Amino acid sequence: MTQETVHAVTPLVRVEDLSVRFAGTPPVHAVNNVSFELAPGEVLGILGESGSGKSVTLKTLLRLLPERKTTITGKVEVDGQDVLALEGRALADRRGGVASMIFQDPSLALDPVYTIGQQIAETVIRHEGISKSDAMARALEMLEVVRIPSAKRRLDNYPHEMSGGMRQRAMIALALACRPKLLLADEPTTALDATVQIQILLLLRDLQKELGMGVIFVTHDIGVAVEVSDRLAVMYAGSFVETGSVKDVIRDARHPYSKGLLAANLVGAVPGTRLDAVPGAPPPLNALPEGCSFAPRCAHAETACGISPLPIWTGGNGRWARCVHASRAGALAAAESTS
Amino acid sequence: MSTPILSAHNLVKHFNAGGFGAARKVVRAVDDVSFELAPGETLGVVGESGCGKSTTARLLVQLLRPDSGSVRYEGKVVGPELPLKAFRSKVQMVFQDSFASLNPRMTMIDAVAFGPTVHGMSQSDATRKAQDLLDRVGLDPSRFGGRYAHELSGGQRQRVNIARALAFDPQVIVLDEAVSALDKSVEAQVLNLLMDLRRERGLTYVFISHDLNVVRHISDRVMVMYLGEVAEIGPAESLYSAPRHPYTEALLAAMPSLDPDRRTMEAPLAGDPPNPIDPPPGCRFHTRCSRAFGPCSTLVPPSHTVGKSHVAACHLNSVKEHVA
Repeated sequence: MTQETVHAVTPLVRVEDLSVRFAGTPPVHAVNNVSFELAPGEVLGILGESGSGKSVTLKTLLRLLPERKTTITGKVEVDGQDVLALEGRALADRRGGVASMIFQDPSLALDPVYTIGQQIAETVIRHEGISKSDAMARALEMLEVVRIPSAKRRLDNYPHEMSGGMRQRAMIALALACRPKLLLADEPTTALDATVQIQILLLLRDLQKELGMGVIFVTHDIGVAVEVSDRLAVMYAGSFVETGSVKDVIRDARHPYSKGLLAANLVGAVPGTRLDAVPGAPPPLNALPEGCSFAPRCAHAETACGISPLPIWTGGNGRWARCVHASRAGALAAAESTS
Repeated sequence: MSTPILSAHNLVKHFNAGGFGAARKVVRAVDDVSFELAPGETLGVVGESGCGKSTTARLLVQLLRPDSGSVRYEGKVVGPELPLKAFRSKVQMVFQDSFASLNPRMTMIDAVAFGPTVHGMSQSDATRKAQDLLDRVGLDPSRFGGRYAHELSGGQRQRVNIARALAFDPQVIVLDEAVSALDKSVEAQVLNLLMDLRRERGLTYVFISHDLNVVRHISDRVMVMYLGEVAEIGPAESLYSAPRHPYTEALLAAMPSLDPDRRTMEAPLAGDPPNPIDPPPGCRFHTRCSRAFGPCSTLVPPSHTVGKSHVAACHLNSVKEHVA
């Protein structure tokens, strides 16, 4: 039923068979055949470790990757527009307009020689063509929206005059200044202290509800993903290995890698006991194994795991996992329930 | 507690942050920090950036000299009573940045064998020892021994750093965010290694981390620091289940929930941690504390014993004592 409602509305983001290659000898297969949809107002968390392709996937949606070194294949649609076909001014109109992005390090993302107010106003003027004073008024409004105390004074601050949490709020204000339909968040809380991180997560959750944006939130931290997401996608070696609602994935992970990640996050671990750690390290992205990329680290690997394409197990509610064993267990469960 | 293997007594370390005369600024990185380590126990140290946890670690292994206070190893004051060289072979450290910790021009075998040769072991014995240790931390010496730091992954480099720390057969290892830079799946492997080594060799750890889940998993006791001071120290179990300092409570409440049905609804603290230059008077936490009252802004809270080897520096505990 939920599945039908999801498909009844036109998705805000539709990614089909997306692959991203970076030039090199041999080329780096950063993203491999990724497909997903995001409904308007939905929050998708992409969970993965460094080099899993989560940030590259996100950047592709705004075409932020270096053009000359990158080959993108597949289909990427945001708000009904083919992103891969956009050029020049049309592309610039999208960035910060329909879709915008927030990053891990606001001190790198903000311009050190302009005040926060000027930076927000510049964006608004560029996208909406309003007067400078109106744009400054909008900047002030945005700082209030992200709950920066004494916003009027902060408008004239340079980024270095603000604390880390405050800068992160300012960057969110900048990203939301033109009321985007899609917000892309690339580990926006990773560099923050615990007590500040939770403030920013709650702020993002509130703003998402207020503004009804679709959000794709990339993180390596399961706890963070659970706090903000409706749906989770687990990424490994450039591929989605499992997706589903947050509850389904956290309570009943089907892919051995998702299970390993949960164990590594000490979900349900007894203090002092050995952890159920996944051995080894992810494969190099310029020499991925045939079939399942996780098979070399998987305790249950068998011959069938080395054959592409891998079978996909599907549960209800838009849930699936790309694993030989998940499909087999699923088939068994289905057989049991019918008999 | 039996004789502590390592203890810190009233450690103070201030750093000059520029300025002259009256305008001179001082970072009060560590202010009057004392604690003891029992042999074989693991003490977790948590706190936000700027709370002084790394400075405490560096004071503990004598990489920094304290402005005042002392470190004792088995009751002997390090320096006057126990020479630094002997102390260093007993207390080792592993840092967060696995790459910066290794000499880029040394092979891994040489990196591990270097320390013991400086301390008088023959080259061949040291090399043999290094091979055994690399093997023990899960790196095949014939494959990895001849490699340089840039030829290893982060997890492998951190294993080498652990092997190097073990090369002196130390009693205590101070781990300063040693697993924080690693990916979760690799972090779990290194945590397992640390727990195995602790059991095999009876090691004592000081485990510094910002990750409260990991600290709870590995520690017997936990010390919570705030702006250069110890807010609370106590057994991991009771400190996590019944914190006695509002800051500990806030830190625990700020941990992202792993249960989709019980998401965090309210941030326990507003704003960022204050600057350790010019910390607030009285209780340093009172500016962010929702339960601050009369004495908090003027009186420095004394350490209240609130349970078995459980101490919290908060005025609320003295109120409780009076009521009781």
